[in-house]
Amino acid sequence: MSDAFLSIKDVNKTFGSVHAVDGVSLDIHENEFFALLGASGSGKTTLLRMLAGFEDLSGGDVVLEGASIAALPPNRRPVNLMFQSYALFPHMTVAQNIAYGLEMDRLPRAEITSRVAEILEVIQLGHLAKRKPDQLSGGQKQRVALARALVKRPKVLLLDEPLGALDKKLRSEMQLELKRLQHEFGITFIVVTHDQEEALVMADRIAIMRDGGLLQVGTPQDIYEAPETRFAADFIGVMNFLPVTAGDQGFVARDGSVILADRVNGTGGAIAAVRPERLVLGDRGQNTLRGTVTNTAYHGLDLLLHITTRLSDTPVIARMTAEMADHLRPEMGQEITLSWSAKDTHIFPA
Amino acid sequence: MNGFLMSTDRRPMLLMTPALLWLFGLMVVPCLLILVLAFFRRGIYGGIEYTWTFENIALVFDPLYFQIFMKSAGIAGLSAAIACVLGYAAAYAIAAMPRRHQPLLLFFAVLPFWSNYLVRTYAWIVLLNREGLIVNLARWIGYEGELPSMLYTEQAVVIGLVYNYLPFVILSCYAPLSRLSPEIAEASRDLGGSAWTTFRRVTLPMTVPGIATGFVFVFVLSIGNFVTPALLGGGQFQMIGNLVYAQFLTANDWPFGAALSMVLIAVMLGLLMGQAVVAERASGGKRAPDG
Repeated sequence: MSDAFLSIKDVNKTFGSVHAVDGVSLDIHENEFFALLGASGSGKTTLLRMLAGFEDLSGGDVVLEGASIAALPPNRRPVNLMFQSYALFPHMTVAQNIAYGLEMDRLPRAEITSRVAEILEVIQLGHLAKRKPDQLSGGQKQRVALARALVKRPKVLLLDEPLGALDKKLRSEMQLELKRLQHEFGITFIVVTHDQEEALVMADRIAIMRDGGLLQVGTPQDIYEAPETRFAADFIGVMNFLPVTAGDQGFVARDGSVILADRVNGTGGAIAAVRPERLVLGDRGQNTLRGTVTNTAYHGLDLLLHITTRLSDTPVIARMTAEMADHLRPEMGQEITLSWSAKDTHIFPA
Repeated sequence: MNGFLMSTDRRPMLLMTPALLWLFGLMVVPCLLILVLAFFRRGIYGGIEYTWTFENIALVFDPLYFQIFMKSAGIAGLSAAIACVLGYAAAYAIAAMPRRHQPLLLFFAVLPFWSNYLVRTYAWIVLLNREGLIVNLARWIGYEGELPSMLYTEQAVVIGLVYNYLPFVILSCYAPLSRLSPEIAEASRDLGGSAWTTFRRVTLPMTVPGIATGFVFVFVLSIGNFVTPALLGGGQFQMIGNLVYAQFLTANDWPFGAALSMVLIAVMLGLLMGQAVVAERASGGKRAPDG
């Protein structure tokens, strides 16, 4: 990879004795849609606020296109932040809110007017230009906040939980909309989210954060298919965990059967993991499990079977497509055999 | 939204009744009496002659009295303006402090209210006197020259009014400042605004209602005040409050006193409505015209 567009170099942030961000290094490419994914308290928002200039760095450096921006105040950075609360100016109209950042750049009035009109067109809110923020719905406010940050054409757009306040249906629409806008404007997006599905759908690359540090960085496929830690495996999607003991013959499950695995992370393997969609009906793979169906969860798109086995205390979850479910018609209490291949088994240390 | 007070339940009305009766009996009725009084003639030997006239109202606008009105408005306006500048700065500083310290700081700001108004005003006599603390302090520092008397001047009255009403402004400005989300100011900084621009274009406009409330409060209380001008102005000049006081208690011209009061109340009502408009605009009110 050539020189990174935005380089985060061993960045630290301490509040008193708390390490909010602990030695994070990341290279983000131009026009990349990058997601910082983590639970609350993982340091993702603090990292974002440091990029925007609202938190000083306790250590490290932030380099944008070869020049350090770490010491610049927020108003001098070619970076804009879309706040989780939107932070629209309540005493200004939608158009005035969007024009504000352009006025700060002392652009000619005519250019400001045309750029505001243009972006209002993009977010399809031209008819609400004269409204005050209080008169907008949540989704409309969200789009105004986005437009206000985008209209400045920043080198990097930072988005703090941009879809957090929207309802589920609007959220999935806006996930695609954000991706489209990012393409159209050719701007690097860094989005902070706690929603793993959102990160998988939108981002080119994801960084999972935990306790102020980076756990894993990779494409959505990397992160989902090859989690490097038990935490990452658990945090992203649904994962079945089966306790094992490492023996001479391999990894031995509770019922004494040997579990074959191609992906062994770290040493001292203590738990095996397999995704629900990798389990197939019948005895057709290298690894087999038997159990009783104790619950079914219908999702429309698919059906999740909860299967009680001797392999773990919690039920194993298996995913069936609608078509398979029609065919099998699983019932509570039914005995069932599932299998999976060694390439789909992950082994993690304790 | 169907609010508590909009419900068809009558019980809220029942709760309000005692307060409404109190206000009606002791506020609205006396005001109406004064209003009516303003349109009667003064008896030759005091008292009231019950014949209708507009003479009293006309007399308020007689240059002799109108000049006192204007002077009072000037002093009240100056006091209110100074109190707003000082009070806003203090409120801004308090709101910028860590949250847990703010209640104590506010408590200190309103502490003077817990002592008697007269005592506080007399204290200024001690301070401003020819041989008062301020003069002695100047001497002690080494100032040898003649010092103009500060007591019994217009400035002394303004100082007294500002001092007495400053806590109102601190409280009225603190309310909107403390409610301001820090993210709003951050958004302005993020969009390229300097600290000063952010204050001028975001913080200040959003907190103007607090300033307007404080200004109207100080103005209204000052223009009708008669204690401070009497004590710190030393009878050098009259403010409208002193004039009303004199009409009722020494000149025994109740109808003219009533007329003066009525004009004063009208001015105050006008100001209060102006303040309401300012508050409505700054809140980005829901009734703003639709585009």
